[in-house]
Amino acid sequence: MATDFWTSSHYKRWIVDRSSWNQARAEDYRYVDRPEYIDYLSIYFANAINKLGKKLQFRQRVIATATIFFRRFYLKNSYCDTDPFTVIAACCYVAAKAEESPVHIKLVVTESRSLFSQSHYGVKHFSSDNSKLAEMEFYLVGDLECDLIVFHPYRTLLALCKKEAGNGQSHASEEGEAYSDLGVGADDGPRYWGTGEGQLELTPAAFQTAWSIINDTYRSPLCIFYPPHLIAIAAIYLTFILHPPTRPESIGLTSEQDTLFSEPSLEQPRQPRRSSRQAHGTSHSNVSQAKKPQDPVSFLAELNVSLPLIATISQEIISLYTLWDNYKEDGLPDAGKFAGNMDSPMSSAMGSTSVSPAKRTASGQIMRHDVTASSMGLNYHRTPASLSVGAQTPGSADDASGDTASSADGNMCPYITPVFLSGVLQKMRERKMASYAAVVNAQPRMQGVAVNKRLERTQAAG
Amino acid sequence: MLDEWTSNSLTHDPMRLYRLKRDRRHIPVSAKYNIMGFISSGTYGRVYKAECVEDGQIHAIKKFKPDKEGDVVTYTGISQSAIREIALNREINHENIVALKEVILEDKSIYMVFEYAEHDFLQIIHHNSTHRVPIQIPVLKSLVYQLLNGLIYLHSVHILHRDLKPANILVTSNGIVKIGDLGLARLIYEPLQPLHAGDKVVVTIWYRAPELLLGAKHYTKAIDCWAVGCVIAELASLRPIFKGEEAKLDSKKNVPFQKDQLLKIFEVLGTPNERDWPGVKDMPEFQSMKRLDYFTNRLHEWFRTRANHAISVYELLLRLFYYDPDKRLTAREALNHPWFQEDPKPTRNAFESLLSHSHSHSLQSQVPNPSHHLPPLRRITQDDAPSMVPMQGNINIGNGNNNAGGAGHGHGIPINAGGMGAGVIGAGGGGGGPPFGSHSQTHSKPGSSASFASLSGGGNAGGTRKKARLG
Ligand SMILES: Nc1ncnc2c1ncn2[C@@H]1O[C@H](COP(=O)(O)OP(=O)(O)OP(=O)(O)O)[C@@H](O)[C@H]1O
Ligand SMILES: [Mg+2]
Repeated sequence: MATDFWTSSHYKRWIVDRSSWNQARAEDYRYVDRPEYIDYLSIYFANAINKLGKKLQFRQRVIATATIFFRRFYLKNSYCDTDPFTVIAACCYVAAKAEESPVHIKLVVTESRSLFSQSHYGVKHFSSDNSKLAEMEFYLVGDLECDLIVFHPYRTLLALCKKEAGNGQSHASEEGEAYSDLGVGADDGPRYWGTGEGQLELTPAAFQTAWSIINDTYRSPLCIFYPPHLIAIAAIYLTFILHPPTRPESIGLTSEQDTLFSEPSLEQPRQPRRSSRQAHGTSHSNVSQAKKPQDPVSFLAELNVSLPLIATISQEIISLYTLWDNYKEDGLPDAGKFAGNMDSPMSSAMGSTSVSPAKRTASGQIMRHDVTASSMGLNYHRTPASLSVGAQTPGSADDASGDTASSADGNMCPYITPVFLSGVLQKMRERKMASYAAVVNAQPRMQGVAVNKRLERTQAAG
Repeated sequence: MLDEWTSNSLTHDPMRLYRLKRDRRHIPVSAKYNIMGFISSGTYGRVYKAECVEDGQIHAIKKFKPDKEGDVVTYTGISQSAIREIALNREINHENIVALKEVILEDKSIYMVFEYAEHDFLQIIHHNSTHRVPIQIPVLKSLVYQLLNGLIYLHSVHILHRDLKPANILVTSNGIVKIGDLGLARLIYEPLQPLHAGDKVVVTIWYRAPELLLGAKHYTKAIDCWAVGCVIAELASLRPIFKGEEAKLDSKKNVPFQKDQLLKIFEVLGTPNERDWPGVKDMPEFQSMKRLDYFTNRLHEWFRTRANHAISVYELLLRLFYYDPDKRLTAREALNHPWFQEDPKPTRNAFESLLSHSHSHSLQSQVPNPSHHLPPLRRITQDDAPSMVPMQGNINIGNGNNNAGGAGHGHGIPINAGGMGAGVIGAGGGGGGPPFGSHSQTHSKPGSSASFASLSGGGNAGGTRKKARLG
């Protein structure tokens, strides 16, 4: 299982098509003002998971697992009759255990309470009662059908690519350690996605870019539409466009930025440990290979995957970036603390203080390489938004964080902000509640408990 | 537009609608299964024998203990052990691994429904030792063969079992071995934390590999192979081969030097040396080890005095007991050992060689030679702790619902609200003497408690508090 994606619960039960996702959103679409807000909510919630994960000092993979749990949960439920923040807390709590790095329930409750009480989440009352979270955990695990082992694109990235030798470090050193000490690399079994021939060399910067793109994909439901290895390959493909291997300097990545990239910053083990056993030298990254020029496109072509599908996924990633360009996470109280982590690491490395320059740069770069892109069947449209937002100053976000209700109605603010989205969510939830209340009120004699009972029955039926 | 109740509900019980929907759909355990009786109580919970209402199939239901805060049972979170066992079982599928049929989450308890296995290795060993007859080679070889076959599968999907011992290796009435109890098992593929960080001590002391006893921070699949060696020796001699006294964790939760257990091993296998095991000098406890008396390997002599009928397995065992984890046989290498090619060959039904002799289970206590008969059926009893059997009669699925309107007061209701159910029947409970299940559990010793401690930052309920893995 661990090696064989094709027999995993992830593959067998949890890769769904977009129409299932849309079907699962039907109620949400009914109660939301504009359908595109639903897509922004995907970013909003993923960012919230990220923030909570950072506060809990999770590794990136734990955050990714929590995000997958969250998406799966909402394949069966609607935003409007749940409290997504309670669900987020439970997803983080379960993901930590599923990834064998548990945290105490009290800590999750405390951190969730302090994070979600901030205005842009609009949670007025996050229960401090541990058992509330534990109860949610129970329901969550049930809705997840107890399928708690998930696959992520990071693994494929690590298996397919290695950072260029020279910095003397393996890729994320915890993986490096795992690979060498456990001999995982050695008795790994056949790779399920490719020819098994060789590895692609990436500059540290390019490796980090690919890593960041993978992080970014969790902002959309992509992770439940496509197998993780395909998402990884799409991320590698997009990375080539950003870091053309033939002229690595041409896109302005300096050595200064390289140091920022030198280690996937989100995956550092707290305490790297050496085995008490002799190292085995099976680590991919330490094996020096004869340098020969690599052609990334033919490398990808040799992988046993559908290139048109990779192109589709790449296209969807670009659409995500386009959407994300209209979303502004900072200008909020904790922007200074989290901005670097919130937006992809790529963004901070790109040296901008603005919202998500990473994505913007990414989509910008990709657009400038449209010849390559079209050669793989990529087809995208440059949106005005992706170009115009760059000029905005962080201060302008303050204007948008005022009266959410009027923003929701007026559609005046230049950005979609978390404050705005919390208003959107609140409105959806109230409307859903009101529609049930309306059903109940149609029965004039029912009052008090009887009303509630009635409501429960109606709800249960629905 | 919103009345007070509605907006109150949104603020103070924001998952209310969801909970109502879920609880309404829930089918309770008691509606799906009739509890036939109680099998065994383990570290994590209690195991019951149950019949599926729909198709009459027999299952074993493992109910995890809910954690208590004082007298009140509340949700405290699913233990790490339950998460592991559930998550791993959902992914795997092999004839020699006990199959998980479903998991039911109900009333703060977790019920794992497994295929039923009539026997386990401990019970078979106990049965033969009670009657002072060895386990015949055809049976022994078949049991070991299937055990290895299951372990090859686990290792091939990068799962370390970490708690192989006779009580955790089950056998169906058809003689099919089923490895059970994945409560300590771990995926070693790309672990986020080094293995030792989560669980300071793994494997019940008698089955614990020397590298673990010597404090290795890193370990591999080879620890399971060592445990298989211990199990084979126990099948052959009908008692634990290395029955050491466990040194307890000190007040700072440091794992002490396991002197007695190591001595028990050295007395049979000799003191490890750097020629056979170059890595031994890097073991954290190497200096302590050197201060112990020196022994030479006497495994052959051990066989002649303790298990002469099974001397044919000597060579295989010797290799499973190699000190150097890198030289120790892997599960696959063990399966390819010539012993399995020799006559008698292993059989798919491990009891096949007994079938021609045996007339019926019920006759076994009257027939003269019990070694020629199947091991006894698993005894089940009335639950001796009725408070733990809310499974019957607990048809009120939504204890939390009825008062859900009031900002979630529905959670302090004791788990045993349902009490002893009408459907519980004590099959086999009436007979004299202690039921076999619990009897077999007494075969351990006080010294082996607390063999597990967790360092994981967690302290999440239950899981990190374990574990007294007893023989
Ligand atoms: N599928 C099954 N069929 C029949 N009996 C079973 C089954 N699973 C478990 N049992 C019985 O219940 C006992 C305890 O089960 P298990 O080992 O899974 O629980 P545990 O709580 O981890 O126990 P321990 O801590 O003692 O190992 C087993 O030793 C066996 O006697
Ligand atoms: Mg057990």
